[in-house]
Amino acid sequence: MRRLVLIRLAWMLPILLGVSVVAFVLMRALPGDFAQASAGTTELAPEALNIIRRDLGLDRPVWEQYLRWLAKLLKGDFGDSFTTHKPVLGELLPRLAVTAELTLIAGLMAMAMGASSGLASARWRGRTDWLVRGINGLFLAVPNFVVATLIVLLAGLYFPEVGIFNYTPFLTDPLGNLGSMLLPAFSLALAVSVTISENTRAAVLEVSSQDFVMVARAKGLRPSTILWQYLVRNALTPIITVTGLQLASLLGGSILIETIFTIPGMGQYLFDAVSGRNYPVVQAIVLVAATVVLLVNVLVDVAYARVDARVSYD
Amino acid sequence: MMGAPVALLQVRGLTAQFNRGDAASQVVKGISFDIGAGESVGFVGESGCGKSVTARALMRLAPEGSSLAWGGTVLFKGQDLLQVNERVMQDIRGRRIAMVFQDPMSSLNPVLTVGAQIEDVVRRHTGASASRARKRAVELLDLVGIRDAARRADDYPHQFSGGMRQRVLIAIAVSCQPDLLIADEPTTALDVTVQAQILRLLMRLRRELGMALMLITHDFGVIAGMVDRVHVMLDGRIVETGSVDALFANPQQAYTQALLAAVPRLDVAGKLA
Amino acid sequence: MTERQRLGGGNAMMSIGLLMLASLVAITLFGTLIAPYNPSETSADSLAGPTAAHWLGTDSIGRDLLSRLIVGGRTTLLITFVAVTLAVCCGLVLGLFCGYVGGLADQVVMRILDVVFAFPVFLLAIAVVAALGPSVPNLILTIAIVYTPRLARVVRGPVLSVKRWDHVEAARSVGVSEFNIATRHVLPLIVSPVLVETSLTLAQTIFTITALSFLGLGPPPPDPNWGAMLSEARQFMELAPLTVIGPAAAIVFATLTFIVLANGLRERLDVASR
Repeated sequence: MRRLVLIRLAWMLPILLGVSVVAFVLMRALPGDFAQASAGTTELAPEALNIIRRDLGLDRPVWEQYLRWLAKLLKGDFGDSFTTHKPVLGELLPRLAVTAELTLIAGLMAMAMGASSGLASARWRGRTDWLVRGINGLFLAVPNFVVATLIVLLAGLYFPEVGIFNYTPFLTDPLGNLGSMLLPAFSLALAVSVTISENTRAAVLEVSSQDFVMVARAKGLRPSTILWQYLVRNALTPIITVTGLQLASLLGGSILIETIFTIPGMGQYLFDAVSGRNYPVVQAIVLVAATVVLLVNVLVDVAYARVDARVSYD
Repeated sequence: MMGAPVALLQVRGLTAQFNRGDAASQVVKGISFDIGAGESVGFVGESGCGKSVTARALMRLAPEGSSLAWGGTVLFKGQDLLQVNERVMQDIRGRRIAMVFQDPMSSLNPVLTVGAQIEDVVRRHTGASASRARKRAVELLDLVGIRDAARRADDYPHQFSGGMRQRVLIAIAVSCQPDLLIADEPTTALDVTVQAQILRLLMRLRRELGMALMLITHDFGVIAGMVDRVHVMLDGRIVETGSVDALFANPQQAYTQALLAAVPRLDVAGKLA
Repeated sequence: MTERQRLGGGNAMMSIGLLMLASLVAITLFGTLIAPYNPSETSADSLAGPTAAHWLGTDSIGRDLLSRLIVGGRTTLLITFVAVTLAVCCGLVLGLFCGYVGGLADQVVMRILDVVFAFPVFLLAIAVVAALGPSVPNLILTIAIVYTPRLARVVRGPVLSVKRWDHVEAARSVGVSEFNIATRHVLPLIVSPVLVETSLTLAQTIFTITALSFLGLGPPPPDPNWGAMLSEARQFMELAPLTVIGPAAAIVFATLTFIVLANGLRERLDVASR
């Protein structure tokens, strides 16, 4: 299996390369470049704009710019932000941490909500099943930013004393930080939990009808043992896969949620950078996002193999 | 009869049916039989005659999503198994009455080692410690003829052949020295050569552990030499009963004759020509 | 569940879904005619609740909410339908090509598509729209770019497997033309997964478009659209909750339509494929 992991990691490099090229080219294909964007509404003379461009090396041919960027990247330097002239990496990391925290909490919430409702649905069938699937269908139709906005509305109308826009950094106030992340994470987690729920239900149902579960019952094992050692452990593989794959949508959704709840994460940073044509920032974010997604895919495959002894990649 | 010991298992007027929504499975329409301690009884019949339903009804093991509709009494050591609550039943299953199923390829949990699957039933019913259970598991694997038991106990089911998996399942079934072992078509899914080995194993274990055996099969050839008595089942009822020799020599019912004729006989010259 | 129940259940979903779809299509085609007011027409009556004149009230600059919802729906849905149609066509072509040709060409194209798959869908959409600039044609293009790979993958699967089937080989060896094989064996297999995937894509597209507009990357003003309406409403939402609830409900309704359709299709086609 080690070999497979190495191969997958090796494939990541060309894919990331492709990703970076696409991002690079897209940004420069923009109508209006950084110089114009930073000028904003003030009318700058073309010479002034050109000075800005030359300063940032934007007058070079695209392929040269790319190679320069790549060379610096290989040394671990993501370049400096066009707007703040500070290293992008330094600005990106804390924001990445915030988005990562939000995504992680949302992911855990989604797994908890989804796996338990899916399990309940599969074990108790009947009314519970109906209820869970009905609610799932409804939740699926409500996009995360709509949920978030409605939450803010409800809070504003009925709980005006509760401050929901009060993000505090983790290091300053851990408890407060977690508290302020709850509602945003919930908005993100809702839609994802539906997918996890459906998949859990299907997986558990499928496993329940397998012969070895009947054998477990014939052994007189306690229902809890059968549930955890025989049902859940065999249903885990699809659950893990699905959760891992949902990470991508969690990352994407975090931009919207961060905007609504004014959380200083990567999403807002990306948005501002794209509108402001802040190329180095956009490239860095795109690269980081793609890396995370690819890494998670590899992790999911590894977890697969650990959980299910039959799966061997050799 | 005066002075006769009370049978281990006394079934009277058993009717049983597994229902899933509208659909019903095969039905047992009122059967009665005894199995004495240490006795070996065979149940023979074609598919759908209700022999498997009988076994599962005894154990109260309805398939996932189905429920059991029953009637009659099943007295096991004086207790009516159809009346006890589920908790009591869970204590009995695996401990007093154990079962071996038909398909060894799908009857073991793929994500647990073979040793773990023996240990869990041992620990469940005897409260043994982890190390004690482990020792017992290795003993049992050895007992059923798995070589290099200590090492093999840490292997997963997919690393065993069909015949060996069935041995493991038998080890699991006899692990707590049950009073009654129910074997439901234990050799049907196995190669012919392996079938004989498994049957011999069952016989040996029965002798050594003094268990009663309820052997269910559609194949008369399987029960020859294995059981003291045979019940022939057709359409949910027992239509003929007798010792194996008596039935072989003088089958009363046409159905029994047909079942017997279905067994390929190598000792009857000329039949195959 | 009996066969009859199954069919009955599937049909109920399908019927509801089709009904909902019909209403959406009606809005798309006749939106501007049905709307009581001009959606851009301002009035002094701002942030009003429901009245006889304005059934759903007005927004912060006095524009009729109902009209804006209807016309906004028209814009949103138009983009959705056109974009997804484009994505499905491209996906079909790409998927059929990859599945049929196989070999190196298939591998190369799939690797390229992997690059697209590496992006979270929404981030990719933001990147493309921000790059090209927010306008209706660009939005359509963005959606097409983002969803074509997924549809191609759905198409490619069945094609790859059918190619190897025995009776297809047999047909080929007797001299049946590739075209006939394609239409008689491969196509029927693709129909159900593609239909279901299309329905799901439609639901996801509604999300993507409204989300993009929410961030200000949607169709530029003065065209109203649901996402932007939701975002603008945040400023005064406690004063006029309907300005939030209206667009929210509209978005949910549209998304629900396609999810219900997808479920109904799944049931229907599952039974049919037996």
